[in-house]
Amino acid sequence: MKEGRERKAAMDSAETRGGKRPEKWLINEARGVWGTLSRTVGWSFAAGILIILQARMLASACHRVVIDHSGVVTVLPLVVGIMLLVTIRGLVVFFSERSSAAAAAHVKERVRSLLYRRLQALGPAGLAGEETGPMVEAVTAGVEGLEPYVSRFLPHLALAAILPLMTLALVFSTEWRTGLVLLFSAPFIPLFTILIGRGSERLNQRQWGRLSRMAGHLLDLVHGLPDLKIFGVAKREAAVVAQVSDDYRQATMAVLRLAFLSAFALEFFATVGTAVVAVMIGFQLLGRSLSLVDGLFVLLLAPEFYLPLRTLGLSYHSRMQGVAAAERIVPLLDLPLSEGYSGVLLPAEGAPCVRFEDVAFRYGGLRGGVSGIDFELPAGSMTALAGESGTGKTTLVRLLVGLARPESGRILINGVDLTLLSPDAWRGRLAWVPQHPFFFAGTIRDNLLLGRPTASEDEVGAALEAASAQAFIQRLPHGLDTGLGDRGAGLSGGELRRLALARAFLRDASLVVLDEPTAGLDADNELLVGEALQRLAAGRTVLVISHREDTLRRAGRVVVLAGGCIERIVPAAEFLAGMEDRP
Amino acid sequence: MSVLLRILGIARGQWRWMAGGIALSVVVIVANSLLMALSGWFIASMAVAGVNGVSFNYFFASGGIRFLAISRTVGRYIERLMTHEAAFRVLAELRVWLFQRLEPLAPAGLERYAGGDVAGRLRADVDALESLYLRIAVPLAGGGVSILLGVLFVAIWSIGSAVALLAFLLGAGVLLPLLARRVAEEPGRRSAELAGQLRTMVTEGLQGVEELILLGAVERQAGRVDRLSARLVAEQERLSRIGGLTQAGSVVCAGFGLAAVMLVGSVQVSSGSLPGPSLVMLLLFTAAIFEAAGQMPSALSMIPAAREAARRILELADAPVPVPDPAQPLPVPGTTGIIFRDVSCAYTAGAPVLQGFNLEVEQGTRVVLTGPSGVGKSTVAEILLRFRSYGGSVTVGGAEIRDLAADCLHGLIVALPQRPHLFNTTIRDNILLGTPEATDDALNQALADAGLTAWIATLPVGVDTPVGEGGAAVSGGEARRIALARALVKDAPIMILDEPTEGLDSVMEREVVSRLAERTRGKTLLVITHRPACLALADRVVRMG
Repeated sequence: MKEGRERKAAMDSAETRGGKRPEKWLINEARGVWGTLSRTVGWSFAAGILIILQARMLASACHRVVIDHSGVVTVLPLVVGIMLLVTIRGLVVFFSERSSAAAAAHVKERVRSLLYRRLQALGPAGLAGEETGPMVEAVTAGVEGLEPYVSRFLPHLALAAILPLMTLALVFSTEWRTGLVLLFSAPFIPLFTILIGRGSERLNQRQWGRLSRMAGHLLDLVHGLPDLKIFGVAKREAAVVAQVSDDYRQATMAVLRLAFLSAFALEFFATVGTAVVAVMIGFQLLGRSLSLVDGLFVLLLAPEFYLPLRTLGLSYHSRMQGVAAAERIVPLLDLPLSEGYSGVLLPAEGAPCVRFEDVAFRYGGLRGGVSGIDFELPAGSMTALAGESGTGKTTLVRLLVGLARPESGRILINGVDLTLLSPDAWRGRLAWVPQHPFFFAGTIRDNLLLGRPTASEDEVGAALEAASAQAFIQRLPHGLDTGLGDRGAGLSGGELRRLALARAFLRDASLVVLDEPTAGLDADNELLVGEALQRLAAGRTVLVISHREDTLRRAGRVVVLAGGCIERIVPAAEFLAGMEDRP
Repeated sequence: MSVLLRILGIARGQWRWMAGGIALSVVVIVANSLLMALSGWFIASMAVAGVNGVSFNYFFASGGIRFLAISRTVGRYIERLMTHEAAFRVLAELRVWLFQRLEPLAPAGLERYAGGDVAGRLRADVDALESLYLRIAVPLAGGGVSILLGVLFVAIWSIGSAVALLAFLLGAGVLLPLLARRVAEEPGRRSAELAGQLRTMVTEGLQGVEELILLGAVERQAGRVDRLSARLVAEQERLSRIGGLTQAGSVVCAGFGLAAVMLVGSVQVSSGSLPGPSLVMLLLFTAAIFEAAGQMPSALSMIPAAREAARRILELADAPVPVPDPAQPLPVPGTTGIIFRDVSCAYTAGAPVLQGFNLEVEQGTRVVLTGPSGVGKSTVAEILLRFRSYGGSVTVGGAEIRDLAADCLHGLIVALPQRPHLFNTTIRDNILLGTPEATDDALNQALADAGLTAWIATLPVGVDTPVGEGGAAVSGGEARRIALARALVKDAPIMILDEPTEGLDSVMEREVVSRLAERTRGKTLLVITHRPACLALADRVVRMG
């Protein structure tokens, strides 16, 4: 629970810091591609200069035709010049795009790798309180959301600072009054963008949460479709999907109405500014105080002056998208790693002796925790763990395998505190078969080799044999290369259980922990799994959660849990006799 | 293209919004081009008047400039709102449509798609189609109409310029993008595919993290994710580069179009068939109208990815329904006796799970089905729920179940499936899933019969405790009993219970079984189990295999 609180605190603080820190983080990430981004800006700047040259050529061509009444021949060199300029500009634009894409690609790859590794490292403790849907969303779509920030917003920001200044200088040197119009209208653009942008940014932050919730909701419904059908409510839920989508639309539109207002403001000033320039120039041309070539040049430059500012304003959307994505990613990166074990000692060879000393762990009340746990698993012994559901059996096992850490008390391995052992080495020594073994969408072979990729074909065969899994695998049309689909679809519960046992055999561990290995199996399968268990137990320390008579009989002792505490520790025979006595 | 049109067709109910958005986008482009044209004509005319020392009526022109400036900016704002509104409306329709299409497929029809991916497709692909209207249909339709109008406008003054302009506009807006689209097709398809794979891999990795840690495979999984991510990013980069090339191409086309109009126009001016100021007007109009063509390449380049998303969505939605609803469903059967006669079933062709299976459950009797795992016990339940297609005959009250409407059958049956799903809401909402109107008494009775009362009492907020994603916040045994309570509270005449006591200890099991025996009296009951304790529920035991 302490972890949970810290995690919450980390998230809250990131939120109250109001986007400052996520954006700082984002800029810091972009710093890694500084060189590539500078090239992007350089190329775009070159394109800006080419546009100005083109405007000058166009203006003077018009002047020659309209005012000087000169023929096509005098215009021809200018026409050719324009064609040459745009060809070069085309190349320059391509180079700029290429380097901005490269910069974004680099950032995305790096952040995704960092984030995914972090989430994995947070592991079960980190995931217990969070739903995977939004996390998957952060790693996939969230990271994609960073792209426009890096490839659009950042270069546009730099260009908005340089290009207008250059254009303004040229306009001033040609016609200073129109220069003043541009100069005084320009500040309104960033001003209004910021004013309106602030409001919509707050709303935008909420959007991400909504999007994730909508995603999780849909995932939940699709997973539960069979149940919805059984209860005849699938049609009703379709209406809920419509409602959720509709709420999302309304919420997003509320954000956009504001966000587009800033785009409106900057386009308004840019368009009106250009219109005012056109009218001013017109009157000076009428009064002959300006030549058509200069007048037209200034008119053509006016939109170019506003363009970088407008582009920046439009890529404000890219910025919000990037910051929103960063806001989702940074708190995840900030989550304190669960105080996992960080010892360095190597566990001794051979079956270990495990001792629990006054161990306690609480989940915060919802699920059963444990307290005052004191018992020993002698080296090479097989111990069963029994007790009603919710009495903390699974908790105890998670503590032993190091997925959770005792809040008080110690777990000793051959007399050495588990916290002092190297977690990797310790995990290398144990095999864990949970209640619902997880299988990936891959072949059976891939899933078996997960714990030991180097295992030979013979070793795999032996493990399957030991786990009584050889027979049904041989019956499959593709044998070991059969794909395991949606949560192992196609294989029965007993078959999946035996596959998980084979995986444990392959691990060749010295401590084996099993959670209800025979639950839900018929007598035949129970016997097969039981025999496999017996083989697995040879020369290893085994802890098995079970209620099944057959399994309990194979164990030497039974540790009975009640209400998170050890009720009694009795020999298996005695426990079984007690079971029969009860009504 | 037909795939995309079909997708848009699904949302045809929103055609007013869609058409309105496109019309407004034309208005904005035309207003902007006319603004530049009028400004150019105005200053050139003023210059000519100035040089010639004659007066010029500037009221019309300066008024026009103001009007066009306002229409352009206000029009743009409204256009943005309208097109986005339309896009979200289209998306909402798609989501609902797809959910409704998936409903008859689940679960058998969805099995061959990875668990994370069905929902991933539903969401990511539907989202990808957000671009269909907003970034594909609007720019293409709006741009196309604007180009036609623009060329017609230029043709009023100069047929030659109009022809040249049309050529370069088509080059920039159609030819170039089509070329780019061809090139982008493959990377677009691949990147959509890789994005789907990445989603599946990340979902698997995070959901299976505990076992990955203990198997020492965390780093390997991270490496797999890295490699897939690198491949995806490389494809995306390739797409961006193709985008860059198209941008470069449109820059060149626009410049050449301008040069062509200038050339043709200046010949016309020197021959006296075109007034000088009109040439300036045409030039500035030309420069501006390329905005319409400029938005088309990126739209066309998005088509392959959108088509891929659309194809995957349609593939999912068009998958054959395992047991379709009959055109003329039989009436609700009056009795509830169940007869399986010579029933066969196979998940994949050639590997039958059931063959020649016979079973009779007379109305009001309780049958327990046992047998080794893998023999197809759960399949029997799934067939009876109309989840799987079958050979032979299965009747309820004398009616063949494939000739009954699914809703009608599900009104008669309630089931605890092999792997019940708990929704991410409270215990109460999960239990009252099928019967939101149930009284508190009925709820408490179901809790008691499922052996949950004592546990609920220990929870600070009782039945209002959330169960977490997929029931992650409760233990496996608790989750199963919540699902059992959900089945009990619905109280249908036929009840199917697949391992009702799995995950319970023997004491609790005995209690639940005795309560179930009471509760299911008089019902037609089919229990699937290996547990000897459940045999107490049986009027008759049938052993399979």
